[in-house]
Amino acid sequence: MEHTSLLERVFRGVALTAVVVFFMFPIVWIALMSFQTNETILRIPPSVVFEPTLSNYRALITGRLDTAAGQLDIAFMRNLGNSVLLSVGSVALALVLGVPAAYAFARHKFRGSEDIAFTLLSFRFAPPLLVLLPLTLYFRELGLSDTYFGLIWVYQLICLPLILWIVRGYFEDISPDIEYAYRIGGHSWFGTFWKIALPLARPGIAAAGLLAFIFAWNNFVFALVLASADKQPVTVGALAFVTASGIQYGQIAAAIVLSIAPTLALALYAQRYLVEGLSLGAVKG
Amino acid sequence: MASLELQNITKRFKGQTVLDDLSFHVADGERLVLFGPSGAGKTVLLRLVAGVIDPDKGKILIGGEDVTDVEAEHRGVGMAFQNFALFPHMSAFDNIATPLAAARASPSAVRAGVEKVAKLLKIGHVLDHAPRALSNGQKQRTSLARALAGEPPLLLLDDPLRNVDAKLRFEMRLELPRLLATRGATVVYVTQDYKEAMALGDRIAVMFRGRVAQIGTPEDIYRRPATREIARLFGDPTINLFEAAPARDARGVHVSLSNVQLPLPQDFAAHAGRACTLGIRPEALHFADASTPGAIPVTVEAETPLNEKTVSLLLAADGRELLLSRPAGAPGPSQGPAYVAAAPESLLLFDAGTGARLGAGGDGQAAYRSGEAA
Amino acid sequence: MSATLALRSVDKFYGPVGAGVHAVKDVSMEVRKGEIVALLGSSGCGKTSTLRMIAGFEAVSRGAIALGGRDIHLLPPVRRNVAMAFEGYSLYPPLTLRENIGFALKSARLPRGVVERRVSEVAALLEITDILDRYPSSVSGGQQQRASLGRALVRDADLHLLDEPMGQLEPQLRALLRGRIKHFIKERGLTAILVTHDQTEANALADRIAVMEGGVLQQFDTPENIKERPANLFTGTFVGEPPMNVFEARVGREDGRLVLHLPDGLALQYEDASFAAPVRDAILGRDRVVIGIRPYAVRRAAEGLPAIVSASQWLGDQTHIAADFAGGSLVLVEHDQARLKPGAPVRIRVDPASLHVFDASDGNAVSHGTELA
Repeated sequence: MEHTSLLERVFRGVALTAVVVFFMFPIVWIALMSFQTNETILRIPPSVVFEPTLSNYRALITGRLDTAAGQLDIAFMRNLGNSVLLSVGSVALALVLGVPAAYAFARHKFRGSEDIAFTLLSFRFAPPLLVLLPLTLYFRELGLSDTYFGLIWVYQLICLPLILWIVRGYFEDISPDIEYAYRIGGHSWFGTFWKIALPLARPGIAAAGLLAFIFAWNNFVFALVLASADKQPVTVGALAFVTASGIQYGQIAAAIVLSIAPTLALALYAQRYLVEGLSLGAVKG
Repeated sequence: MASLELQNITKRFKGQTVLDDLSFHVADGERLVLFGPSGAGKTVLLRLVAGVIDPDKGKILIGGEDVTDVEAEHRGVGMAFQNFALFPHMSAFDNIATPLAAARASPSAVRAGVEKVAKLLKIGHVLDHAPRALSNGQKQRTSLARALAGEPPLLLLDDPLRNVDAKLRFEMRLELPRLLATRGATVVYVTQDYKEAMALGDRIAVMFRGRVAQIGTPEDIYRRPATREIARLFGDPTINLFEAAPARDARGVHVSLSNVQLPLPQDFAAHAGRACTLGIRPEALHFADASTPGAIPVTVEAETPLNEKTVSLLLAADGRELLLSRPAGAPGPSQGPAYVAAAPESLLLFDAGTGARLGAGGDGQAAYRSGEAA
Repeated sequence: MSATLALRSVDKFYGPVGAGVHAVKDVSMEVRKGEIVALLGSSGCGKTSTLRMIAGFEAVSRGAIALGGRDIHLLPPVRRNVAMAFEGYSLYPPLTLRENIGFALKSARLPRGVVERRVSEVAALLEITDILDRYPSSVSGGQQQRASLGRALVRDADLHLLDEPMGQLEPQLRALLRGRIKHFIKERGLTAILVTHDQTEANALADRIAVMEGGVLQQFDTPENIKERPANLFTGTFVGEPPMNVFEARVGREDGRLVLHLPDGLALQYEDASFAAPVRDAILGRDRVVIGIRPYAVRRAAEGLPAIVSASQWLGDQTHIAADFAGGSLVLVEHDQARLKPGAPVRIRVDPASLHVFDASDGNAVSHGTELA
């Protein structure tokens, strides 16, 4: 039973390679594209042999796009900055609001607590466009449209339910006895939350934060409607590459590489942390 | 040191009454064991006293002071949990230090306090370990150390030996009285193990379905159980119970078992004719000669040794089974026909309907009530 | 009597043979027909692996297993004619308890009447008659365990394997069911092996107990012999509830007496005549020994060694007493209600007949009472 035949090992290797190729191909292809000019990308048949160029990246970073129709100004770096600001800001706000709320929902069952928690989750079900039209009007009245704060507020529709529901599960998994023990030891409820519940739920908070960050980063519709050019994140800004003279595949590829880099880096970093957190595993005694 | 008093405590969860108008008093320095099957409300009661959940009705007094509305952290109690409830992200040292740190003791005082209690519990060598690196026995000792560290006047122990193996449980059972005595604390101890209850309690409160069915010394509970249910829970092997009705004739009061008349003490005359349950503790039965009055003819079906005792499964002529236990090594047949007898004063009688023990000469209900009120 | 089950130099490796985890080490034992044998040990001692090899759920890495004279270790489980009660019950959820218990009999195409009679017989034995038509999920853990036991006991098999058969049973039923099950097995002449970590269960049911530790069979003997003649310090301290009292002692001889020096300046002294010459010589031939005294063998006597009571606990039919003695703790068991307060001085005596002596270096028994080990 413990012994695997050579055939089995070969087959397993082949299967694994196939799966990896299948999933990694688009990313690898885009990475390759980002180092090519539009001409080499579009030649037929396509080839993986080409002369690498950094022109796409140069264009993005300097903000000057050379197209067949002439030079075009694009604000890609500014968009990237907006994305970082909006995502970090909304996740931070969602954590500040959502984690204590998740704790409250996990620990205190009051009349209607389940309903409130579910209502918050149901924000995720509503089609964003449905919310957007009235929201645009309100925001204009309040002077919130086209402000970072306004956008971050709207982004809570994405981040808050996610954090609330994931983190709540983690809090529920902590044995109440552990918290009781700390309180009986002479500590206030806030001390218990801060010193016991938060550290023990940290893997969950990290996972929820990461997920919320990715969702926020990838959001398109809210920013499209509510933000003007100088507040747009990369998702909306990428529209600029669809120019009158054609689609700038090389620049798009480079933009994609640059825009997935932060989330990828974060995921890789957090993965290590998440595994560490999960292997703590002593939460349930 | 502090006494504990509960007055008319009621607690409901989701419409279910977990504690039902419960009152009792634990004297300063006393050890009270709460014993009962799971679901009796013992653990909820302990959490109410600790202050982590609130009663729906009733008052809790510690040291004579009403603490019903006092937060858990200001009640000054210590508590150990069945599942240990150690903080997994802190070392054993930090776990034990939490009550001392809360009292804002200086670092050197914290260290001294932790080391003192760690020495008492023999865990000085694992203080820098994380809980997951501790053995079950060490976890249990760490959790006790944490409960004791703040030198609380009232100590609540929630089945602390439940999750350790038989050998460690035995060791701790013998070690605990001294440990608790050095601290002089009043102790409320929850357990489902009748041996622990008898060994550790100055008094035992037997709980069923949110109520105290009997409260008394181990001797009261074992020798004079208030009900049939309580008699069944104390003793290993379990007490033998038979439907029987005492009768009275010229020779005195007796009860019939397998066509043999077992003599009862004369005081039971008042219960003649009543539908009863007869209880005979296995250790009260002994092998006897055929000529012994009240000797029951039986067949020894099987012999099963049990911790320095020998337990025999006996089959009486009418098909009823009896268990007899005797000290290991004491002579007796291991199979085949035999006679057994029990001393009349060792027999217990319960009302067949209510299950209340029938007092010698008196009304059964009286015995039941006095047990409850004590 | 012929051996019905024979294990011959059985090894179990998890991972490659010789390099993997060596879970069972060269175990040889014979179980006679009609015998109840208990495999006793703490978790990870190899007892469950041994049982699973006998049942056929685990391959034998080295050695052979024969049942009724035929080698079975290469047969699939279904062809070994072995009945088993599993620790996790493993009842079939869509079947009632009655169908679960009768399942194997029905598969063996026994007449319906016979199946029914045997199922109700075993159900009465295990006190589950009134819940026979319920499904496993609607009964308690203890009841499921009894049904699982019933499913194994009801079968005709060459061998019955019971894995932790009584761990979840309601405490009030345990003593009664132990007696009934033992009677049932004996009356039908079944051969049974039970695996347990609970020595009470092993002592109560088994004719012989195989004590395992670290994959090695430590001792295979009757409960009496394991208690009175433990082969080594491990068996001596593992079996016995309360556990054996153990003290290190320095061996000496003064004025024709054998003297065992204990810590705190105490010494047990025995007239030379207490022990036969070979026993005396075996003890005197060692500088240091470990002595073991069963709790029930410690006597209180006016002229004994001093000890201070630290706890005295009456349990209804026994009193357990712990006393500070020779720098350690000594446990006594008495069958009466002893009324001793903590702090009370007592004097204790150990009769030469109750003294177990073990070698201090390898832990092997030197003598038991007045006999050589």
